[in-house]
Amino acid sequence: MSITSSAAWQALQAHAEQAKQTHIKDMFAEQPARFAELSFQTDTLLLDLSKQRFQLTTLYLLVQLAKTQQLPAKIEAMFNGAVLNPSENRPALHSALRQPRDKSLILDERDVIADVHHSLDAMERLVKRIHRRQWRGYDGSPIQNIVNIGVGGSDLGPLMCCKALTEWVPEDAKQLNLHFVSSMDGSQLERLLLQLDPASTLFIISSKSFSTIDTLANAKTAREWLINASGASADIINQHHFIGVTSKPDKAESWGIPVTNQLHFWDWTGGRYSLWSVIGFPIALHIGMENFHHLLTGAHKMDEHFRTVELTKNLPVLLALTDIWNINFLDIHAHAILPYDGRLSHLPAYLEQLEMESNGKNVSLDGQITDYRTCPILWGEIGSNAQHAFYQLLHQGTEAVMCDFIVPAERYKDASAELQQQHQLALANCLAQSRLLALGDSILDSAEQAPAHKRYQGNQPSSTIMLKSLTPETLGELIAMYEHKVFVQSVIWDINPFDQWGVELGKVIATELLSQFNSEDTSALDGSTAGLIDFIQHNTGSQPNNDG
Amino acid sequence: MKITVYGKELTSWVAAACLARSGNEVTIIENACSNGKSAQPLSDIRVLINEPGLLELTKQQILSGRLIRGEQSESDATVHWLALNADEIHRAEQIVRDETRNPETQRLIVNQSNFGVGATEKLQHLLRQSDQQDAIYLPDLIQEGNAINDFATPERLIIGADKEWSIIQTNALLRPFSQSADNIQVMAPKEAEFTKFAITGMLAIRIGYINELANLADQIDVDIDVIRQGMGADPRIGHHYMSPGCGFGGQNFQEYTRKFSELFEQQSNPSLLATVIKENEVQKELLFRKLWQHYQCDLKGKTVSLWGGSFKPETASIDNAPSLKIIEALLAQNVSVKLHDPQALQNLQEYFGDNSALRYCGNRYEALEDSDALLIVTEWQEYWSPDYSLMLEKMRTPLIIDGRNIFDKEMLQSQGFTYTGIGR
Repeated sequence: MSITSSAAWQALQAHAEQAKQTHIKDMFAEQPARFAELSFQTDTLLLDLSKQRFQLTTLYLLVQLAKTQQLPAKIEAMFNGAVLNPSENRPALHSALRQPRDKSLILDERDVIADVHHSLDAMERLVKRIHRRQWRGYDGSPIQNIVNIGVGGSDLGPLMCCKALTEWVPEDAKQLNLHFVSSMDGSQLERLLLQLDPASTLFIISSKSFSTIDTLANAKTAREWLINASGASADIINQHHFIGVTSKPDKAESWGIPVTNQLHFWDWTGGRYSLWSVIGFPIALHIGMENFHHLLTGAHKMDEHFRTVELTKNLPVLLALTDIWNINFLDIHAHAILPYDGRLSHLPAYLEQLEMESNGKNVSLDGQITDYRTCPILWGEIGSNAQHAFYQLLHQGTEAVMCDFIVPAERYKDASAELQQQHQLALANCLAQSRLLALGDSILDSAEQAPAHKRYQGNQPSSTIMLKSLTPETLGELIAMYEHKVFVQSVIWDINPFDQWGVELGKVIATELLSQFNSEDTSALDGSTAGLIDFIQHNTGSQPNNDG
Repeated sequence: MKITVYGKELTSWVAAACLARSGNEVTIIENACSNGKSAQPLSDIRVLINEPGLLELTKQQILSGRLIRGEQSESDATVHWLALNADEIHRAEQIVRDETRNPETQRLIVNQSNFGVGATEKLQHLLRQSDQQDAIYLPDLIQEGNAINDFATPERLIIGADKEWSIIQTNALLRPFSQSADNIQVMAPKEAEFTKFAITGMLAIRIGYINELANLADQIDVDIDVIRQGMGADPRIGHHYMSPGCGFGGQNFQEYTRKFSELFEQQSNPSLLATVIKENEVQKELLFRKLWQHYQCDLKGKTVSLWGGSFKPETASIDNAPSLKIIEALLAQNVSVKLHDPQALQNLQEYFGDNSALRYCGNRYEALEDSDALLIVTEWQEYWSPDYSLMLEKMRTPLIIDGRNIFDKEMLQSQGFTYTGIGR
């Protein structure tokens, strides 16, 4: 039976009819205590939901819906390692990746937490060796350039965290230059190889399956570049210039990376949930192991919050239910991620994968096509830059959009007054935009006299997530909050958030098409694809040979 | 004269001992405050042991009664000699304030510390108007290993003073030492400071340049020794500071070059010197890289001998010595290291502590036992003409990597060694 026929869903639907008629500005007018009722805090993080188009009673109805879907039991099941990813027959244990060393969790007779720390310890040894400048390239130079080759979860999480935490680079990591390469066409790699000194460059080949074609194509180019530059054997290059991060040691080894140069994680770590594992190696190289542990600590704090705090005060749960309300009851299907802090520039891309790859699904766990909407379109940008790009649509377009404003209260504590002022400016803009989106031009005295093209209707809902400050720990907390939020939504929608079958078939078809590029007969293909291949053949000199 | 010398570095001890030897009554105040701790025995003081003859000279002067280790200055000391650490500028300022409180007393402040360009002028600004008080700058021109001679019989003198009174006072003070100098230049303190830095920088750049040439020579297979001779014969160039090697070290030299390079940076000028300093750090690992390449990036289980640990011959000092970086790199690759140095072993032992992979050898041949390579890191006299057949007998693999070009390449190869030097 679909969730849509549950009493809780029906109640929410009835409730929504009324809510749809109410403007946020009227809610504020009628309920002066909205902020007190609808904002929630941990030690380091504030979630303000008072600019959403609901009230406390709505939240209670939503919590009823969560209970109908047995959310508390599902949360417990996730932490305990139940198989929550049935299509791949795996648990989803990213929470185990940040458990402290003294905990244990037995899965198939193995202590997962012990394995996790064993793996983190191996990573720490590599980090220290590189920081001490004692990882040597083929000519004996210490490694100074690190290139992470990975895509999706092996790229977005580490990249986002590294960009966010540059202030925390310890002294011995300052000499390292860190680069990220993901695109299969080699365009990032090509530019990079022009500037790098091969003897002091180390490549991290990051791939859970170690069969990702994008990554292996880049890795192959990198290895050839090193062999040509050094005149050394492939063995020496593999031994001194490559580290593999994978859950498939055999595959990495047969590619050429010796086991001693590998860091391992497990099937039960989903790619987009993996930055806490050795996939976070670039992060640890960048901010040092101590800070990496702080990142884990922050996430663990959020895990404990998620696991123990009652649903009505549980941040990931509230964030998820808010979106459920917007998507399923207010028909809002666009979600903008708007950090007002340049350090979080890569957070939107990270969350796009986390949310859309997890919940972009239309089949429920029992194999039925859902009769309700699931994950909306997510996109985002540094808020202050987006003001000069797509905010026009948010304020005066025809689409309803929900927004997440993300900003730290404090920044530049020890920096110049000018920089502190710049952060004040960013904060003021963040607050101004969410205010205007919610209330419209009603905040002005004489708005009604303005011509139509200068009016602001408002009533666009938003959440504000304010960190006390951005640190490894608060970033860990923030990301874990979104991870759990995604899980809660999947529970409500009764879908599997931990697989991604939708990205598979395209790869297979691409492999098949590759062989068609030199083929004369493309008649088995659809007309469009055949026409495009024809154009490629005519413009690259790869026409089929016609003499035979 | 009654003189108080401040500081606990080589410069302060050399000044104190030499000034006492020439008849002055000298008090040396090593630390700003002793906190009731009793003074370190002379024979435990590293800079005294490291510098040839300095411990003896200091002991003699103390015995003679002319040199006293004190905690405060005699009230009638008229000369106050600051040979402080680069980071003790506040201590210097405090001394100047304390000593010049009464404008009626005669006070000559001699600054010989590495406080940077313009520091002496700043000390002068602390003085009240008085025609018998002044601060002057006297560049520290001593070289480790030859410090007493450099101080007592300098070939040249630079005096940074700009008042007639202080120039007369300084000349009198330096009279016992200025007889040998055929060139005495008086200039403004700031100019003297700049000159001191500029000399050090110039020398560093010469070494950096010849090292760069040597590395190039290595790659295109010419002998840098030939090139060096040819260059040095040009009178515009000369032979000084033209020997390629595995990097320069030493406390003073590095400290002055670094500080001068920072001055360039502060003024936003791109600094040739910064590059030289950076490349010098790379050069210090050159012998390791040559070894690494020789053994095709695999040093596991190898035994490697080092001859020389001090940053240069005739000193036990290991400050910024290339040996430190080489040993660290070798240990990180699980190499067994056998190390010989005529004077620096104790310092090295304190630096690295007990490590089963690192053996300190009192005999240079003992360090060669079962060795897979010998690295020459310091050009001590006793290394220049060793017993080759004994070396061949001891070593497992007769590979010599000569970081100071002390051996004749053809000769060693004819003996059966595999030899590589710097740039040849």
